[in-house]
Amino acid sequence: MSMFRSKKFDLGCFANVKTIRDHSKRKAFEAFEPERQALRYVIRNTTLPARTRAIAQLQLAGTHCYTRSTQIRNRCLMGGKGRGILRDFKLSRFNFRLQALAGNIPGVKKASW
Amino acid sequence: MAVPRARLLELMKAQCQLFSTTFNPERVRTGNKILRQRLRGPALAAYYPRKGPDLLDLQREVDDLGLLVDNDEADDRLEHIAALKLRGKSAPKKKKGPSTESKHK
Repeated sequence: MSMFRSKKFDLGCFANVKTIRDHSKRKAFEAFEPERQALRYVIRNTTLPARTRAIAQLQLAGTHCYTRSTQIRNRCLMGGKGRGILRDFKLSRFNFRLQALAGNIPGVKKASW
Repeated sequence: MAVPRARLLELMKAQCQLFSTTFNPERVRTGNKILRQRLRGPALAAYYPRKGPDLLDLQREVDDLGLLVDNDEADDRLEHIAALKLRGKSAPKKKKGPSTESKHK
């Protein structure tokens, strides 16, 4: 959502609308995480009155979807692809292969035996 | 020899006081598990590299000194656009002011 997008472009890698969106979601999650955790604590605390916990549940359910961690998806830094990402390198499998064969990734070489 | 439960509880309580842990014999769910969790936000938000200063920023910095930064890429682009414009192939002009009809209705 546009209200979570930074006013000034701040991505230093490949950028398309999907990576920008994912970046905004990450920043929104970071900003709202303490609030979410507080609500989660109230909900899980059985010593609190049921009404308080129910209100907290409603509040948590009412938060914007961008503040949820489940919205975040690792994307390729070089192509923005959302599938087949190697977590250690933050690259999609094909970009990883290209970079590895070109020798741009230290410590990675093609297996041969 | 069976030890009475009350005595065991006392022992537990003393233990908890000594080692400053929570005394919770009924095992009530207090949600402390949530408070113990570390915040994942900073790590997740650092996934994409942030934009560093580029030539345009440098130009902006030295503008006051009356200096010019050689930015080949930008010059090439502007030259290309100027050539397109001469041939009448450039992008159309932007509309001025907000449009009266809203797209999202």
